[in-house]
Amino acid sequence: MNAGVEAKAETGRGLHFMTVTAAAHAIARRELSPVELMKAHLARIEKLDPTLNAFIRLDAERALEAARAAEAEAMAGRLRGALHGIPVGIKDIIDVAGLPTTCHSKILQDSVATADAVVVSKLRAAGAIVLGKLSTHEFAIGGPSFDLPWPPARNPWNPDHHPGGSSSGSGSGVAAGLFPMALGTDTGGSVRNPASCCGIVGMKASYGLVSRRGVFPLSFTLDHVGPMTRTVEDNALMLETIAGHDPLDPGSVAAPNGHYRAALDRGAKGLRIGFVRHFHEVDMPAEPEMTAALEHVMRALQMLGADVRDVRLPSLVEFSAVNRVILQSEAWSIHRDWLQKRPGDYGKLARRRLMPGAFLGAGDYVIANKRRAEMIAAVNAALAEVDVLLCASSMDPPCRIDRPAEVERTYPRQARTAFNVTGHPAIAMMAGLSSGGLPLSVQFVGRFFDEAMVYRVARAWEQASGMDQKHPPI
Amino acid sequence: MDKELMQALARRAGLDKALAEFPDDVAAAADSAATVTARIKVPADPRAEPWPAMKPGDGL
Repeated sequence: MNAGVEAKAETGRGLHFMTVTAAAHAIARRELSPVELMKAHLARIEKLDPTLNAFIRLDAERALEAARAAEAEAMAGRLRGALHGIPVGIKDIIDVAGLPTTCHSKILQDSVATADAVVVSKLRAAGAIVLGKLSTHEFAIGGPSFDLPWPPARNPWNPDHHPGGSSSGSGSGVAAGLFPMALGTDTGGSVRNPASCCGIVGMKASYGLVSRRGVFPLSFTLDHVGPMTRTVEDNALMLETIAGHDPLDPGSVAAPNGHYRAALDRGAKGLRIGFVRHFHEVDMPAEPEMTAALEHVMRALQMLGADVRDVRLPSLVEFSAVNRVILQSEAWSIHRDWLQKRPGDYGKLARRRLMPGAFLGAGDYVIANKRRAEMIAAVNAALAEVDVLLCASSMDPPCRIDRPAEVERTYPRQARTAFNVTGHPAIAMMAGLSSGGLPLSVQFVGRFFDEAMVYRVARAWEQASGMDQKHPPI
Repeated sequence: MDKELMQALARRAGLDKALAEFPDDVAAAADSAATVTARIKVPADPRAEPWPAMKPGDGL
């Protein structure tokens, strides 16, 4: 289908569910107006955001002004880049010049950024238009919370349910068609959790591939910035835009820039896939519906010609403990002064999740990092035998947001923190719908800097299942 | 962790105000720290190096 026909077909469903790729093609061919695209998203936001709370701050006027400029440029044949005229939402721990970076917290509610984060400037250079700042768990760790200056985001599949976090507004807004792409951050799974809960695609690339400069840190050695979209192809396009070495980010790696869409359509035939069953069968037994969904994904990939075999890694419980010790030690170094002087300016959940660092010693931190080195070696060894790993993302469908005990029970039941500990690229996406109509999820993990392979398998599953065609009935 | 030790560690960390205003949260944080450290297997080889590797280079 050519882009013009595709654009018309998408218009029939509403421009708000048009993919990034289709919209960018249509704009480049002057078949779609960036202003019309922006207006469609602003109308969707006006209608749904009072329910979803995806935004902390909507910058509608500047976004519309930028769309008009993008339209004039497109009409003159001047395209800034691959995302010309495409709206994007930014998690509110990432700096956007002239807007506050609140981290969804009273602590920083008046802290205005003076410059764009590197990832934001890369998106703008490619032509993307920033719509505004999105809800997060407080400081990317404390949520969902009802004792903060802004309400928590809600799940568009059912607003009574948690959209996952901490990049909650990013996940909720992409799934609901408030914007076609968003930036999230991921320290213990915070891109992949909302992707799992909201039925979209969230990628945590290899540690060091995407610059963290201009992003408020949670844990220096675990933090990643990641793209969130409705399709695998859009996700790869967004990663191509934001990846790249940043000499001023101490964690940045001089890896070659990848063309992550190059292998997208090569399918799964002949690939070796390691299924990490013990994560969801033994370490943290998943809900039966989630287990069934994972088996379904595995069988579908087998049907496509992949060779699937079982793989063993260290226990998920220990991965999670190593993540917590490192995260809370590093986070304590960031929050200590505020926790000492202004503990009441944090929400209860952030206070409880940030203060453990006060009770961890230097020895605990070093031991966790010694174990981390062994865990990296274990995942590398597994990936020497297979091309990609398949495992659970969440163990449960998203729970109700207004039941703190249920949030507390289900939140740690996940297999994402493992790959913050090791730094391997990991993508989470939809694996089906539960009997209650809520997204089920799957995760694929690849070798360091082999994001192209992760996208290839994810795309094979997406095409076999049609998951990119499922949208929340809101 | 017993209450006296928890309070002593909290004060050493400068959390007097939190201890006075949110004693349950401080206690929960102390319990959480004790729980996660107990779950980590200490590498058997005392020479095992931590991550990140103690060398200049190209990262991972």
